[in-house]
Amino acid sequence: MSVIQVKGISKVFGDTKAVDDVSFDVSAGKIYGILGPNGAGKTTTIRMINHIMIPDSGEIFILGQKAGPKTQPLIGYMPEERGLYKKMKVGEHLMYLARLKGMKEPEAKKSLNYWLERFEASDWKKKEVGELSKGMQQKIQFIATVAHDPDIYIFDEPFSGLDPINSELLKEVILELKARGKTILFSTHRMEQVEQMCDDICLYNHGRKVLDGNLNTIKRSFGRNTVIVEFEGDGSFFDQFEGIRFNNRSNRFVEMILGDYMTPQALLAQAIDHLEIIKYELVYPSLHEIFIQTVKESSNKRVNA
Amino acid sequence: MSYDKLFLIFKREYLTRIRTKSFIISTILAPVAIILLIAIPIILQVSDSEKTQVIGIKDEVGTVLPRLIELNSERYVPTPPVTMDSLRSLVLSGNLDGFIEITEEHLATNKDVELLYTGSGGMGLISEIRSDIRMVLQNERLDRAEVGAVVQEILAMRPQLLTRKLTAEGEETQDTLALFMIGYIMCFIIYGAMFGYGAIIMRSVIEEKTNRIIEVITSSVKPFELLMGKVLGVGALGLTQFIIWSISASALLAIAAPVTALIIGDDAASVDAGGATTQAASEMPFEIPTIGPELWITFILFFLLGYLIYSALFASVGSAVDSESDSQQLMMPIMVPIILPMLFLGKVAQDPDSTFSVVTSLIPFFAPMLMPVRVAMTDVPAWEYALSVLLMVGTFIGLIWLSSRIYRVGILMYGKKASFKEMAKWVRYN
Repeated sequence: MSVIQVKGISKVFGDTKAVDDVSFDVSAGKIYGILGPNGAGKTTTIRMINHIMIPDSGEIFILGQKAGPKTQPLIGYMPEERGLYKKMKVGEHLMYLARLKGMKEPEAKKSLNYWLERFEASDWKKKEVGELSKGMQQKIQFIATVAHDPDIYIFDEPFSGLDPINSELLKEVILELKARGKTILFSTHRMEQVEQMCDDICLYNHGRKVLDGNLNTIKRSFGRNTVIVEFEGDGSFFDQFEGIRFNNRSNRFVEMILGDYMTPQALLAQAIDHLEIIKYELVYPSLHEIFIQTVKESSNKRVNA
Repeated sequence: MSYDKLFLIFKREYLTRIRTKSFIISTILAPVAIILLIAIPIILQVSDSEKTQVIGIKDEVGTVLPRLIELNSERYVPTPPVTMDSLRSLVLSGNLDGFIEITEEHLATNKDVELLYTGSGGMGLISEIRSDIRMVLQNERLDRAEVGAVVQEILAMRPQLLTRKLTAEGEETQDTLALFMIGYIMCFIIYGAMFGYGAIIMRSVIEEKTNRIIEVITSSVKPFELLMGKVLGVGALGLTQFIIWSISASALLAIAAPVTALIIGDDAASVDAGGATTQAASEMPFEIPTIGPELWITFILFFLLGYLIYSALFASVGSAVDSESDSQQLMMPIMVPIILPMLFLGKVAQDPDSTFSVVTSLIPFFAPMLMPVRVAMTDVPAWEYALSVLLMVGTFIGLIWLSSRIYRVGILMYGKKASFKEMAKWVRYN
């Protein structure tokens, strides 16, 4: 069942189409990643799902209900740009936000206590937010996002600006939420996070969706077109061939796409004569590679059209 | 609109502010500051200048100098019998502050009198000397003409105009100056409050933007609910402050009359228990005015309505900028209508029932400052009062609608300073 259903939404600011006729479905219990370069329309899409902005056209359904004030409490949202009232006490602040999400005071108290305990932050309740370190404030921000125990969680660029400890903690929390059957949507421009965590993805470029679906299915559809070689010797050997594109390269390692001029077998046959091959592997493309290829294709289409 | 959420926001805005030191301090200090602002010039004017300027009188007539010395023996001194040039050097060397030559011609004709002086002493010195000279010359001429005591008495008469206001309940003495002062103080307080509370709203909107908490809040509530909760919460804060001021001021006024009377009464020779107060009160240099409830209500009501109008404007400016320093240019059109009534104040006080006064006090942007002055000084017809309130309420509804449309877009815009053109565009966004 679709937890979030986005149907042909568009949003225009002045002359720029921030989001242009985008549709996708997020299924229950999955981690869904929205990917794309900065300015591709990810944040605008997320704001529309949260009913912070209203699409110019198209519709959004949350658990079958049209997005609106009633669907807002169903979602826990952590925006990319985060902040809290500096002058408020931590306990009062969290209570305020939980109450705005529609929680009653006693249940909010229980939930806040649980999460404060979980993040080892119970001692901070009486402190002013401004007195806390940045890392501590980030923890408070997580708690504010999850405290009302919604079924859906949306994180916009969740790892940007987090210190390594909080990054790990957030990853842990996201996986824990998934294990409890919650649905998670997050946006990022960092591919490795998506590869590690997401079930399904949606690729954005210039306000348009260029690709979406199950991450593994997408990877398979591109085939094992990527060659990974680990070697000893002079790596400049690879430079003599036409059409090779390097995704990743160091003096003992290359990850590359061969292109149309050469098969992996032919390359291997020559490489054995020049280098000491430690590992030679054909793999699915990385998401980064998929992204570059897809964006290039869609940009070409835009130019041609 | 969700009233639960509105109330939560209202409560937070009100409670977090009323506990701050700045609220407590401003509640205490603002009236003190205003009283000082009014009292200091009066005290300075009344108190004598510390140093008396010494003016030499070269009296060729002989009878003028004694009359001047009788008026002010410290100021006027005879000059040594030297030439005019030597007198000039006396002034330049600082032995004299100035000198005047009086000849027979000044008494016989209307010839102007000339003061040669260092230039220090200012307007006060010159006007004092002028009036002294005029009086002395006039008396000398009258004596020479032998007009007799009757004419001299007639010329010395200066009756005051006392006013008694006639109402259905009877007559009451009324001190227009005191009433104007009350209206003036109220006008001044409201004027300050428009800026003060407007700035609170604007700062609070900017704070939420720069803090980036705005997105978390708007993922739970409508921007309009947030704006309304904020405007009402801060408004309740202002109301609290105005009620504190009004109650303490009326309490002070209630005890001021007897206390002042007691102090003055102590000085007075006759201190018999019953009569002292009344007698002393009539000896007081001014009357302590009584402020009726209708004026207090006007004061609070017009502050509140004015606040609502201007807070809506300040909020939309706050939403359009990233920092307070960016707000200057956008503030201009808000500041002008707040400042203008202060320029009209004199004309309104002069004739609070003139067409000019009526019209300006009906304009919703000016009414918060001008209507209390009129109510203090005259009987404002009920229809004018009602119309003014109605127009302000209407203006507020229109402005809060407009502002909320700008606000809703502005709070999510970062990085660029919006122009008026852009803000007008936001109003039309869906």
